[in-house]
Amino acid sequence: MAKRSLADQLDQAIQAVLAAPESVRPEAHPNLSALLGIAAGLRDLPRQEFKLRLKSDLERKASMAAAAVNPIPEGFHSITPYLIVEGADRFLEFLKQAFGAEQKLRVPRPDGRIMHAEVRIGDSPVELADANTQYPPRPTSIHLYVSDADAVYQRALQAGATSTHEPVDQPYGDREAGVKDAFGNYWYIATHKAAGAGRFIPEGLRTVNIYLHTKGTADVIEFLKRAFNAEEAARHESPQGTIVHAKIRVGDSILEMSEAHGPYQPMPTGIHLYVNDADAVYAQAIQAGATSVSAPADQPYGDRFAHVKDPSGNSWFIATHIKDVQF
Amino acid sequence: MAQGRPLLKARENSPDERPLIEAAQRDPRRFAELYELNFDRVYAFIARRVHNREEAEDLTSEVFHQALANIQRFEWRGTPFAAWLYRMAANAIIDRWQSVSKQQVDPRRDAADLAALEEIEQRAMLFQLVDSLPPDQRRVIMQRFVEQKSIREVADELGRSEGAIKQLQLRALENLRARMEGAHG
Repeated sequence: MAKRSLADQLDQAIQAVLAAPESVRPEAHPNLSALLGIAAGLRDLPRQEFKLRLKSDLERKASMAAAAVNPIPEGFHSITPYLIVEGADRFLEFLKQAFGAEQKLRVPRPDGRIMHAEVRIGDSPVELADANTQYPPRPTSIHLYVSDADAVYQRALQAGATSTHEPVDQPYGDREAGVKDAFGNYWYIATHKAAGAGRFIPEGLRTVNIYLHTKGTADVIEFLKRAFNAEEAARHESPQGTIVHAKIRVGDSILEMSEAHGPYQPMPTGIHLYVNDADAVYAQAIQAGATSVSAPADQPYGDRFAHVKDPSGNSWFIATHIKDVQF
Repeated sequence: MAQGRPLLKARENSPDERPLIEAAQRDPRRFAELYELNFDRVYAFIARRVHNREEAEDLTSEVFHQALANIQRFEWRGTPFAAWLYRMAANAIIDRWQSVSKQQVDPRRDAADLAALEEIEQRAMLFQLVDSLPPDQRRVIMQRFVEQKSIREVADELGRSEGAIKQLQLRALENLRARMEGAHG
């Protein structure tokens, strides 16, 4: 009977706790008081269905994360030059003959012009396309490291390029020549003699490296730091304080730069930049002073893609690979 | 963080969590184990300040999604995983309040307050003990406290008398009390 009455009293008190959670009254019965303390705690008891549903949501998300694709597609680096030329099919042939480029992808337009193509030269991808009204030709300077600069220089001339300078030993350890191809691009063809046995590329560089000749290089470097979290790997200045050579790291790649001088004037370049989060980098670049050409959007080929122009006129194609698409 | 005891205790309650965290960092599918160990704590932390059930669930969900997304950033320095979750929970609550109004106690204080953490730990333990009750007692507790049904409604649903349901409720609370004390002893 006493037990029965305790059950009734308890329920009455629980009813009060449920109705007005903050008002747990002290009870005369010490046992009842302790039980009411427990009851007050149970008011916040989570729903079992919620706990299970959240668990399965998290498991689904974790599986997706485990299966997530690399934000930089296979074979690419943070930075890839995107060369836009008139006559991309002829340019493709030139790259094969002169530099042994290997064609990886060629997406034609209905009129036969190249919408997009990818080749590989040595350890580096290079992208190219035919120019159109939206994307006019963008001649680019490329620093190309090869095992035999003299031989590649000759091959480039045979393939139709013109010499800008013959192979010469430079004080910084490179055997270096220069050509200009029929599409307006400059190629600095070099063998780094100081790289050690069996190697011909300086530390941190690759076969294909974009070389930017810029005006106000120090300011451009500051922009790259703010826009793309770039880091200065090297900077060499003349006694007058002009930047004669800088290596700027963006992600896993190096961008080479120097202050424009003589024939080496700014050539606004197309730079394909792969990042982990295209939206965030796009926003950061705009904040740093870039101009938006197109906001981030998912593309049918599996990338999230945005396009900005930096204050020097270079086009940055900011991309994150979000899914693998079979063509 | 200066406080040691309740958090240490939280660690003592769980198997060594470091290998679990490292496993989840290698493979996010292993996060489920960390979730099971910490769900009740996080929910209790949030429910202490957020009395609306839907809102508490929303915030709990936000914290665990955030934890999963950022698991790589958790650095093992001897700080319990729960402390990291509590900080996220406190920030999530504050974010929510800013969009409503500025009223309640700052939940960041709970995350650094020994007494509050002890209470949250107790609450989480209570939630876990409900699962260990005999099925009929557990059912009554869930219906009465989670679904907030009246004794009559529970009695109708389970086909028992109101008196029997009150008895089950009493026995369940006595059991929980004894097990809480057992856990402390």
